[in-house]
Amino acid sequence: MNLLKTTIINAVKNILRNKLISFLSFGIIAFTLLIFGIFNYITYSLEVFTDGFSKNIKAIFYFKEDAKQAEVELLVNKLKEGLLVENVIFTSKNQAETDFSRQFPELEYILSEFKESPFPSSIEVEFKHEGYTLDTKILAFVKDIEKLHIVESKQVNIDWARKIIAFKKFISVVGVFLSLILIFVSVFIIFNVIKINIFYRKEEINVLKLVGATDWYIKFPFVLEGAFLGFFGSLMAGGLLFVTVKLFPIYSAFMFNIVKGMIDFKTIPGSLFIKLIVLGTAIGLFSSYFSAKQFLKN
Amino acid sequence: MIEFYHVHKQYVKDQFALSDISLSINKGEFVFLTGASGAGKTTLLKLIFKEELPSRGQILIDSININLIPLKLLYQLRRSIGIVFQDFKLLDKRTVYENVAIPLVVKGTRKVLIDKMVTNALSLVGLIHRRNYIPSHISGGEQQRVAIARAIVGNPKIIIADEPTGNLDTELSIEVFKTFERINANGITVLIATHDNHLMEQFPKRVVKLEKGRLLSDGKIERM
Repeated sequence: MNLLKTTIINAVKNILRNKLISFLSFGIIAFTLLIFGIFNYITYSLEVFTDGFSKNIKAIFYFKEDAKQAEVELLVNKLKEGLLVENVIFTSKNQAETDFSRQFPELEYILSEFKESPFPSSIEVEFKHEGYTLDTKILAFVKDIEKLHIVESKQVNIDWARKIIAFKKFISVVGVFLSLILIFVSVFIIFNVIKINIFYRKEEINVLKLVGATDWYIKFPFVLEGAFLGFFGSLMAGGLLFVTVKLFPIYSAFMFNIVKGMIDFKTIPGSLFIKLIVLGTAIGLFSSYFSAKQFLKN
Repeated sequence: MIEFYHVHKQYVKDQFALSDISLSINKGEFVFLTGASGAGKTTLLKLIFKEELPSRGQILIDSININLIPLKLLYQLRRSIGIVFQDFKLLDKRTVYENVAIPLVVKGTRKVLIDKMVTNALSLVGLIHRRNYIPSHISGGEQQRVAIARAIVGNPKIIIADEPTGNLDTELSIEVFKTFERINANGITVLIATHDNHLMEQFPKRVVKLEKGRLLSDGKIERM
């Protein structure tokens, strides 16, 4: 107990003795983990968003003017029997006109210029979400329907989801790449901070060795020092991430209102904080361990 | 207890700091190691606590060949030896008390016991009143006695001292040697490197004399 207390005190003393360099390494770790956290958080938010999106995949098929009622009904019945399909809603030309008037009452005057509804009849197909919602099966299905002679055009929100997923992957890759570089920088800085501390305390280390201190007794305060820097750096990064995420909606409300509505920027998953703390402490621990191991060899 | 078998130590090619040293020191013996500057006294002492490695030959402590002790277990050897360094090697950011306590702290000794042992050691060297001073605020002689207290505090089997009276006046030197005698009376082996013939004459002990790295003589001198 006495030994552990002495070791912890020594580690804290080391940090305080070299305030500037300790503060620098602490800052670098905090910055690294903040960047890591931001990218992780964006990826997480996009994931939540795309998950919701993929559960709501829909396709709308618009029919040609000359499409016969019987043909449309036959198609609707066939679609309802399909394995991929959850529901099919038919919208007639008149229904489409009514819907438009209800949604955009200020544009109703445009419709008055038409003798009959200018909108085509359509069907909205909702797909089942059993893991294959983004599968090629849906795309193949949509293509098959599109080929029918009564179908004029189609709209599928699957393309949107795919684009967002691709964006999410891109963000992840950039995040991992940046994080790796910054982690390397952190490791390098802590490695050298510990190296400087070892040189600074060379005389003391020599005395400790000569009076019978074990290797671990000498190494441990340095390793602990690195772990402290990593741990507190990660706490700082967590705090900064929290502030950033809190402030971002205010900023985005001015800049891109749409983004604010799409993604919930308020919740940071607890697992992300744990990830930051584990990563920060691990960076500190391992870089200081290897530094102490290398420079205390002799 | 301490055995040297044909030990050589070479720092530079064709120049031996120690050459073919064979000697044996028994448990509880008090031995002076003497010789002019550069004779190899410090090197010989360093070989015992493995700060230096012999170029050739074997060194046994308690019948264990110390050449074979791995670095990881070196602390076990060093815990059994109390060393008084020529340059004291006191840590200036720690108080006298903390300096003396180091060998006990690294062993994980309980605080209550540390307090008792450090107080005893400081009393033995007459420095209890300086316990809260830092080394740079006490005299050279006092620093030397702090180094002695640190060497004896952990009840080692062997005490090695390299010129322990180098900075002391005759009166204090005699006091220090008497301290070593008292320690030795408890069965602890004492090996002191000194070139102070006057002091050695006052303490009739075994004297091992080195000259240019070679063992010149080994025997007892009589009190004058």
